[in-house]
Amino acid sequence: MSLPLKQYGSLLGRYLQPQQIRVLGLGIALLSSLALQLLNPLLLGKFIDMAVAGGATQSLLVMAGLFTGITFVQEALHVGATYLSETVAWTATNTLRTDLVDHCLDLDLCFHQSHTPGELVERVDGDVTALSRFFSKFIIHILGNGLFLCGILIILFVENWRAGLLLTAFVIAALIILGRLHTDAIQPWAAYRQMSAEFFGFLGERLAGREDLRANGAVSYVMHQFHQLLQRWLPLYHKARLTSTVLWGTSVGLYTVGNGMALAIGAYLWSQQAITIGTVYLIFYYATLLYQPIEQIREELEDLQQAEASILRIQDLLQVRSPITSGGHHPLPAGALSVRFEHVGFSYEVSLVAGQSSLDQSDQMTKDQGLMTNDTKPWTLQNLSFHLSAGQTLGILGRTGSGKTTLMRLLLRFYEPQMGRICLSDVPIDQTPLTELRQRVGLVTQNVQLFQTTVRHNLTLFNPNINDAQLLQALSRLGLAEWLRSQPAGLDTPLGSDGIGLSAGEAQLLAFARIFLQQPSLVILDEASSRLDPATEALIEHAIDQLLTGCTGIIIAHRLKTVQRADQILILEHGHIVEYGDRHPLSSNPASRYSQLLKTDLIASKD
Amino acid sequence: MTHPRTLSGWKLLWRLVCYAPKLYLVDSVFWILIEGLFPAVPGLLIREFFNALTHSALFNLSSWTFIVLFLAAGVGHIIAIFLGRITKTQHRFTISSLVQRNFLACLLNRPGAQPFSGAGGSSHSASPGEIISYFRDDVAQIEDNVVGTNEVGSAGLFAIGSMALLLGVNAQITLFVFLPLLGIVVLLQQASRGLQQYRRASRQATQQVTGLIGELFSAVQAIQLAGTKTEVIHHFRQMSDRRRQLIVKDQLLTALLDASFSNTVSIGTGLILLFAALSSQSDGAAFKVGDFALFVYYLAFITSFLGYLGGFLVMSKQTEISFERTAKLLEIPAPRDASYLYSPLPLIASHPLYLPNLFGQPPELPPFGPPQRQPQDSLQVLRASNLTYCYPDSDRGIHNVSLTIERGSFVVITGPMGAGKTTLLRVLLGLLPLHSGALYWNNQRVDDPANFFVPPRSAYTPQVPQLFSGSLRENILLGLDEETVDWEKAITQAVFDPDLAMMPEGLETVLGTKGVRLSGGQQQRAAAARMFIRQPDLLVFDDLSSALDINTEQALWSRLMALREKKKSGEWSAEPETTSPPARYDWMPTCLIVSHRRFVLQQADHIIVLKNGRIETEGAFDERIFTELM
Repeated sequence: MSLPLKQYGSLLGRYLQPQQIRVLGLGIALLSSLALQLLNPLLLGKFIDMAVAGGATQSLLVMAGLFTGITFVQEALHVGATYLSETVAWTATNTLRTDLVDHCLDLDLCFHQSHTPGELVERVDGDVTALSRFFSKFIIHILGNGLFLCGILIILFVENWRAGLLLTAFVIAALIILGRLHTDAIQPWAAYRQMSAEFFGFLGERLAGREDLRANGAVSYVMHQFHQLLQRWLPLYHKARLTSTVLWGTSVGLYTVGNGMALAIGAYLWSQQAITIGTVYLIFYYATLLYQPIEQIREELEDLQQAEASILRIQDLLQVRSPITSGGHHPLPAGALSVRFEHVGFSYEVSLVAGQSSLDQSDQMTKDQGLMTNDTKPWTLQNLSFHLSAGQTLGILGRTGSGKTTLMRLLLRFYEPQMGRICLSDVPIDQTPLTELRQRVGLVTQNVQLFQTTVRHNLTLFNPNINDAQLLQALSRLGLAEWLRSQPAGLDTPLGSDGIGLSAGEAQLLAFARIFLQQPSLVILDEASSRLDPATEALIEHAIDQLLTGCTGIIIAHRLKTVQRADQILILEHGHIVEYGDRHPLSSNPASRYSQLLKTDLIASKD
Repeated sequence: MTHPRTLSGWKLLWRLVCYAPKLYLVDSVFWILIEGLFPAVPGLLIREFFNALTHSALFNLSSWTFIVLFLAAGVGHIIAIFLGRITKTQHRFTISSLVQRNFLACLLNRPGAQPFSGAGGSSHSASPGEIISYFRDDVAQIEDNVVGTNEVGSAGLFAIGSMALLLGVNAQITLFVFLPLLGIVVLLQQASRGLQQYRRASRQATQQVTGLIGELFSAVQAIQLAGTKTEVIHHFRQMSDRRRQLIVKDQLLTALLDASFSNTVSIGTGLILLFAALSSQSDGAAFKVGDFALFVYYLAFITSFLGYLGGFLVMSKQTEISFERTAKLLEIPAPRDASYLYSPLPLIASHPLYLPNLFGQPPELPPFGPPQRQPQDSLQVLRASNLTYCYPDSDRGIHNVSLTIERGSFVVITGPMGAGKTTLLRVLLGLLPLHSGALYWNNQRVDDPANFFVPPRSAYTPQVPQLFSGSLRENILLGLDEETVDWEKAITQAVFDPDLAMMPEGLETVLGTKGVRLSGGQQQRAAAARMFIRQPDLLVFDDLSSALDINTEQALWSRLMALREKKKSGEWSAEPETTSPPARYDWMPTCLIVSHRRFVLQQADHIIVLKNGRIETEGAFDERIFTELM
C-alpha cells in the first residue's frame, strides 16, 4: 500500500514552495558537504603517496592544512544545513498543523463526539512531528547520497573497470532490495500509531475526570484498563519494530557482502597481478565508503515508513468532510429574526453513520457503527413544526433527553435535519452562509468552554476587533465589574485550564458576556441559568431582558420561572411536540400541561 | 526555587535499569555482540587478509579463508541484531510502561480537584492536553536514555579493546590522536549545560502547543459559534512559531556541539597522518599495509563511539530535565509558599506491569475492586473541625469551617456564588488538600482523606460530572463486579429508568467522548446512578439538580427521601428482595448536598449557609433566613 510518488510530490510542493530559497540553500549546503567528503580521501591518498615518496615537509604541512581547512568548511556547512533543515521542517509542519487544526475546527459535532481531544492532539501533533524529518531531509538526502554513491563508483571505474562494474552492480542490487523492503513496514507502524492515539485518548479522558474517578473509588479500575491497553500495545510494538529490524539486518548483510566482494575482486586481481597492493586497499576503502550513503538512504527509508504511515493518517483526517455545507449566499434580513420549523425530523444514529468518515478504517469505530446501524433508528425529533415571530420569545420545556438541546443544535446547523426544514425570517438556514448564521444567532449552553489564556481572549475568543471598552461594558452589565477588579491583572489575568479558579456561576456569566459582545438577532439560552444561585440568577434575569430587547429569543429551561417572559410555550416529549401555544391562554387553561407544571412547581417551591 | 536534589540523573537511570535486571542482562549480551564483538572482528580479519596477500599472515592461511571468515562474521552480526532488537523492544516498552504507569498512578493519587502545577510556576496549571506531552515526550526521553546505557557501554567496551590493540601497533600515534579526543568529551559535558535551558524552553513551548490543540478541540462548539476560527488559528500559528524558534535554537546548539566534536576528530586524523608520515621518514619503518588497514578501520569506530558517547551525555542531561519537569508536575504547592519540594522517586518505583513476556504470553491481571465493607466502619458520625483551604495566590477558599453529620441525616450546604460550597465538599472528600483542620469518622481521625473517602464509605457526584468513552454499563460500573450490584435499584434511584427505556441498546449504549451523546441531565443522572450503585454510607452531591427539569428532579429527591423513610420505619428490611449481596446490606445513606432549591432545603435536617468561605449561619429551614440570603 505504498503511496504513489505523485502524492509525495504534491505534499512536498505545497509545503516547501513558500520556502524555495531556504530549500535551495539547504540543498547547496548538503551537496557541498557531500562533495567535500568525497574529496577528502583523495587528498589523504595524495598525502600518503607524498609521504611515502619522501616529499618535502613543507608541502606535507600545506596538505595537512588544506585537509583541516576542508574539514572546517564541511562542518560549517553541516551546521548551516542543520539550521536550514530544521527551519524548513518546522515551518512546513507548522503550516500543516495549522491546516489540520483549521480543518478539524470545521468538522461537525459528530466527528468530535467520536474523537477525543487527546486523540486529536496525537493526530495533529504526533503524526505531523513524525513528518518533520521527511520535509527537511528526505529528498535532499536521497539525492545527495545518490550523487555520493555515483562519485565513489566513478572513482572505482577509473582505478579498475572490473571492480567498478562489480560494485556498481552491487549498489544497484542493494538499493532495489532496500526499496522493496520498506513498503512492508507501513501497515505495522500505522497500527502502532493508531494504538498510541487510543492510549493517549484514554489518558486524556481519565485525567480530565480524575475527580470523579477518585471520589468513586475507580482508580484501581483505571489502572486495570491501563494494563489492558499495555497488553494490547506491546505485540503491535514488537511487530512494527521487527519490520525495521529486517531493514537493519539487510543493510548489515549488504555491507558485509559489498566488502567481501571488494576483498574478493582485490584478491583475484592481485593474484592475476593486474593491480598493485595499494589499489587493492583503495578498492576496499571505497567499498567501505559505500556503506555510509547506503545506510543513510536506509535511514531515510525507515523514517519514510513512519512518515508514510503518518501521511496516510493525515490524509484520512483531511478527507473527513463535514456533512454541514458552508451554506448558500442568501443573506439574512437585518433586525430580529423569525423562526419557523417545518416538519423537522432528526435522528442521531442516522446522522452519525452518515457523518462518519472513512477515518480509522481498521479501528474500533466500526464496532460502534455496527451497534448503531443494526438497530431501528429512534428519532430524536419527529415532525416538529412551530413558528416564532420576530422579536417574540419562545419557552421550550420538557424532560431531559426530550430533544430540547438537539433542537438548538439543528437551528445552529451543528447537524442537518433528515426531514423538513428550518427557516429564519423565511430564509432556509442552509441557504444562508454558515458564518452569518452563527454570527446572528447567540447561544449560551450549560457547559462553558474556557481556554487557558487571558480573560480578554476568553471573552473575545481571540477576536482582535473587540475593544476593551466593549468588554468592560459587557462585564459591568452582567455585574462582573467587581469580579474583574479582583483579578490581579484585569483583562490580562490568565485563567487556569478548565476555568480553574472560577466558580461555575462566574464561568456562566463569562459565557453571557461573550453573547453580549456578539450582538445577535436571535438568542438561544439553553438552561443558561441552571448553575446560578438565586442571587446571581436575579442579577442576570435583568440582563437577559436587555439582551432580548429587539431580539428574538428561545429559552430552553427546566425552571418555569425562566420562561415567565416567554410569549409562546412549547413542550417536548420524546421528540414530539405535546403542547404548543401562546403562554397566557395555556396558563389559564387548567387542562393544559403547562398549567399543570405550574401547579407542581408551586407546590414544590411555594414560590 | 530551591530544592534538594537527592538523586542524580545517573542514579535514577541505574534504578530503572535494575527494574528488569534479567532482561537487561540478556539484552546487554546481545548488544555486546552487536555493538562490540561483531564490528571489531572484521578489522582483524582485514588486517590478516592484507598480510596474507603480502605473505605474512598468521597460520599461513590463504586470503580466501579470511574472506569466508569475514562473511561468517557478518552472518553472526545479523543473527545478533535480530535477537537483540527483540529484547531491546521488550526492554524499551517495559521501561516506558513503568514510568507511564507510575506517572499515571501518581497523578490519580493526588487530590482529585487539585490543579496540576505546570512548568510555568505556581500560577500556571497544566491542562490534560499538556500532560499528554509529558506522557509522550518525556517518557520517550527517559526510555531512550535507559535502554541506551548498554548500547553505549558495549560500544565503549569495543572502543577500549581496539584502543589497546592500536596501542600495540603504534603507541605514539594512538596517544597522539586519542588524548585530545578525551579532552573534548570533557569540554562537551561543560558546554552541554547551556543546552539544558534551551531544551527546557522548547519542551515547554511544545507542551503549550499540544495544550492549546487539546483545548481547541474541547471547545470546538464555542469556536464554531463565535465564528472566530480565523483568530483562533492566528493564535495557534503564533504559538507554533514560538515553538519552532525555540526548537531550531535547541537543534542548532546540538549540531554545533556535534560539529565541534567531529571537527576535532578530523583534525586529529590529519595530524596523525602527518605524524605517521614524519616518523616513517625518520626511522624508515613504514606501516605494514595490514596494520594501516586495521588502524583506519578502528579509527572510524572509535571516532563514532566518541560521537555516540557525546550524544549520550547530552541526552542524559536532557533526561534529567524530563525527570525534573515530571516530578514537578506531581507536587502540590504548599499554601502561600512558592517553594516546591519534588522528587522523581515515585516515577521510578518498582511495580508489576503485567506485560506479555518475550514469547507473547500476557500474564493474568490482578483482581481489583473496592475494599470490602467493614460493618464496624460504617458511618455513625462525621465531624469536620476548622477546615481551611486557600487557592494558590488568592484569599479564596474556605476558612475554619466546622460541621457534624449524623448517620442517616440530610445536610444541605447553600450560599451565594463563589461562597466555597464546592470547595468545602472537595476538601471534605480529600479532593483538595487540607491546609488546616481535621476530619473525624466515627470520632477516629482521618489521616488520609483522599484514600479514605471512597466507596463503600462515600461516593460523590460533582456539579459537572465527567463520563468516559465506552458503554453506559462501563461508565456506571467503573470496574464494579456485575454480580454484586443491584442495577435496577441504582437506575431507579437515579431516575434514569425512563431514559434507559428509550435507548435501543440500553446499558450497552456507547456514550462517545466524555459522554457527549447524553444530554446534560442524562449525564448527571448517569453519574448519580454510578454513585447509587456503590451504595455508600455517605452520598455527596454537588448541585445534582442543576441540569434537571422540575419533574425529574422532584422524582429524584422523593425517591431518595422514600429510601430514608422506608429505612426509618423499618419497612426496608421487610421488603422482599432479590438474593443479590447488596440487597442484604442494610443501606442507610447519609446525604451531604449542595443545593439552592427551596424544596430541598425544606427536607433538610440541617442547613449550612456559606458566604465568602465561612459559615454564615446554620440550622433548620427558616423562611426568614432563606429570603434574606437569597
